[in-house]
Amino acid sequence: MKQFLSVSAIAMAVSFSSCTKEEAAAPVSNDKTIEFLVNGNPTGGNYTFFSFADGKAVPASDSNSLKWDFGLRFETFIVNSRAGGPGNAYVQVVNAPYTEIVSGALPGYKQDTSVTQRAIKGFEWYSYNATTRQFSPIAGKTFLFVTANSKYAKMEILKADPADDNGNPVTPPTRPTKIKYTLRYFYQKNGSPNLQ
Amino acid sequence: MRVCAQELASDSAVSKDLQEVVITATRTERKLGNVGVPVTLISQKTIQQSGSLRLNEILQEQTGLVVTGGTGSNAVGGGVFGNGIQMQGLSPDHTIILLDGEPLIGRQGGVMDLSRFAVGNIKKIEIVRGPSSSLYGSEAMGGVVNIITEPVQGKSNRLSLRTGSFGQSDVVVSGTYADKTSGIYYFANYNSSRGYDLDPTRIEKTQDPFRNLTTQTKIWFSLSPNTKLTISNRFFQSNQQSYYAVNSKEINVGGKGVTSDFYMNPVLSHRINKNSTTQLRLVLSDYRFTQDLDLLTDKSSYYFDDFKQGFYRAENQTDILLGKKMHLTLGGGYTKNTIATTRYKDRQQQDAWHAFTQLETTIGKKIVLIKGVRYDYNTSFAPSISPKISVSYKVNQALSLSASAGRGFKAPDFRQLYLNFTNIAGDGYSIFGANEFSVFSLEKQLQEGLIAAILPAAFSIRSLRPETSTGLNLGFTYHFPGSCHIDVNVFRNDIDNLINYLPVATNNNGTPVFSYLNINRSFTQGVETGIKYAFKNFEIAAGYQYLTTGDKDLMQKIEKGQVFGRDEVLGGARRMTKSEYSGLLNRSKHLLQLKVFYNHTSSGWNGSLRGIYRSRFGVLDLDGNGFANMDDEFAPYYFQVNATAGKKINQKISAQLGVNNLFNQINARWMPNIPGINWFISIQIHLSHKTKSE
Repeated sequence: MKQFLSVSAIAMAVSFSSCTKEEAAAPVSNDKTIEFLVNGNPTGGNYTFFSFADGKAVPASDSNSLKWDFGLRFETFIVNSRAGGPGNAYVQVVNAPYTEIVSGALPGYKQDTSVTQRAIKGFEWYSYNATTRQFSPIAGKTFLFVTANSKYAKMEILKADPADDNGNPVTPPTRPTKIKYTLRYFYQKNGSPNLQ
Repeated sequence: MRVCAQELASDSAVSKDLQEVVITATRTERKLGNVGVPVTLISQKTIQQSGSLRLNEILQEQTGLVVTGGTGSNAVGGGVFGNGIQMQGLSPDHTIILLDGEPLIGRQGGVMDLSRFAVGNIKKIEIVRGPSSSLYGSEAMGGVVNIITEPVQGKSNRLSLRTGSFGQSDVVVSGTYADKTSGIYYFANYNSSRGYDLDPTRIEKTQDPFRNLTTQTKIWFSLSPNTKLTISNRFFQSNQQSYYAVNSKEINVGGKGVTSDFYMNPVLSHRINKNSTTQLRLVLSDYRFTQDLDLLTDKSSYYFDDFKQGFYRAENQTDILLGKKMHLTLGGGYTKNTIATTRYKDRQQQDAWHAFTQLETTIGKKIVLIKGVRYDYNTSFAPSISPKISVSYKVNQALSLSASAGRGFKAPDFRQLYLNFTNIAGDGYSIFGANEFSVFSLEKQLQEGLIAAILPAAFSIRSLRPETSTGLNLGFTYHFPGSCHIDVNVFRNDIDNLINYLPVATNNNGTPVFSYLNINRSFTQGVETGIKYAFKNFEIAAGYQYLTTGDKDLMQKIEKGQVFGRDEVLGGARRMTKSEYSGLLNRSKHLLQLKVFYNHTSSGWNGSLRGIYRSRFGVLDLDGNGFANMDDEFAPYYFQVNATAGKKINQKISAQLGVNNLFNQINARWMPNIPGINWFISIQIHLSHKTKSE
């Protein structure tokens, strides 16, 4: 099992939302923007696993653990629950800008009930133009997570680029072996649903 | 050049245009002033003086027309689908292209590649704007481009040789030999290029080398004083050698693509009596595209695509004069369409019938009213009724007004009905034509475990209806004293039932299954205006189009605050406002043309300087909100300047030198069909045999 490493946190971004002084002083992590390189094969191979707590990819050898929250392969999401993994994570996609989401306490969370009934369906959050072969994450789709360790997190997919094994962009006719995602997320490690 | 509707008692270049007879607007020969719809006429002289060789080159210099650069990626099986025509903001699949009044076939991705058509055999091109389905049926939603080939007339032969940049060569041999009862016309053109490369970072060429061959023959006989038979044939073949670097830094895949079309058009015309004529027209045409690519290392087959289309039509048109003030046209026919391709399951066939009628009434001396309607019925989708009404009003010697309203439609095309394609090698998605499955078949697949889930959109799958448009055109022409006139046309097109694909199910691997549905509603509106001025040996023409377009449903969602976007590629999402909506992709708000032609008859010198400008246009939707809003989603503005200088050396020989794209404006990604600066030189030898009858 080859692991598909996340590159690294490339930026620390402060969200546009109004941060009060108390929160700024509180020991919570800020928004993070990272690149996440995943298996680009739509039909087979491993998922690439991500941990909000660690802020990076989790080796595939840890797939049967609570160390990861979600996995991605091409554009297919799995969440660490039931058919997806041993955890009890939940996820939902909300139709609102990331910055407008202030709390994870919203109804509508789902789990991977079966391998064919995933919590997240691809076209919920991306559009695909078969003519230009443009694969675009839809702006304003915010992912809300209850993580494998029962913490709240929110995430936005900023970009998804076809890439080679080293994460360099590729253009047709060369087929991508990886998809390089750029993700922005906020992980509330204190256990509260506050996502500001 | 835009010409318009008024006769002036002067023999300037402008008024000569105005006396021109056009056929496309009414399917009968009419003076431009009487048709009530906007018509653009491009003469053979303009084509020659512009140094154009292919149809796309001359059409891109007309007011309000955009020759599209293609939206696909230059990938194996992906195609670029460029060189289509965009008219009044409607996409290339909404304009019908006619050859001597009969539809041409062979669209790829809905786009008719205009570079397939040589212009050396063209007498004139007529462009009618606005829905014209009342006469021409499907595809005539945005308008009509009618290529009218040279007549069988007189006795002459012509040889034209041209060479230019990118290893371009072009040879034309043509001639006619006609007497009073019969005649023959022939035309042959060889056109080739080594291709060009606009993007040095890519190992593939932007335009691969090609060789085109076009032939046309036309014969006519007078079977009796009132009966005439004309048979014209067209044959075209394009051979293209393509190379790709697939998953590699080196060229490793290559092979041949062949596009061919064959077209035969017998027309039997008969004058029944003083007031009526009838025509029987047949069209037999075939189009074929094959691409056969091999891995260069071991010559094993890498990709094979074969697409065959047939179009066979029989049609009658009868014209009757009812007194002096009314002209009635009646017509009807049968069409058979066939298609067979590696991407569809079976060979498909459609049978279609149509009938149309048109009544032209002259009211007093100043008003001409034309009403028409056409009914189209076929075996594969819902029927269409296309009415149209147009009126022209000559207020006085200087001012004339025109107005028209009509409906147009485009039949669902074959891919929308029958495509059966799973992109196994690429992204794993599947696309099925609407006739290829139903909710029932999806449920069966679900039970058999072939798909993972059925999505709500699947329950709205039903048989596709044609895309329809309602168009309105209001215009006027005003003649200033001297040889100057201005014309203005305001237009609005409302398009319903646009066919688009939506995910209707999920494959087991999570990738979507798409199908085609009538989902979108959009509009285009704007103003086209032209001014033309002739003085001494110069003729100056300027044209401008202002255009706004939009997806009506998307605009409603924006108004409700349900659409988000980013300001830059890695920016956060925020709510979009109505003023940020940029309209449909690939549409430029501003188009500008400026042309100067010079002709000095006594010395034989002539020349032209032509410029076109196109403001920036949306090309990408990186943030998935359905339109272009961030700078990275737009292609920049574009301009092109072309020039020619020619000299008629004597009665038989003329020569021309030209440059296209003088300022080397290129855009490898979004306008791969426009090469950089290129030169050419040509010589034309004209041999006419003067006879007493001429």
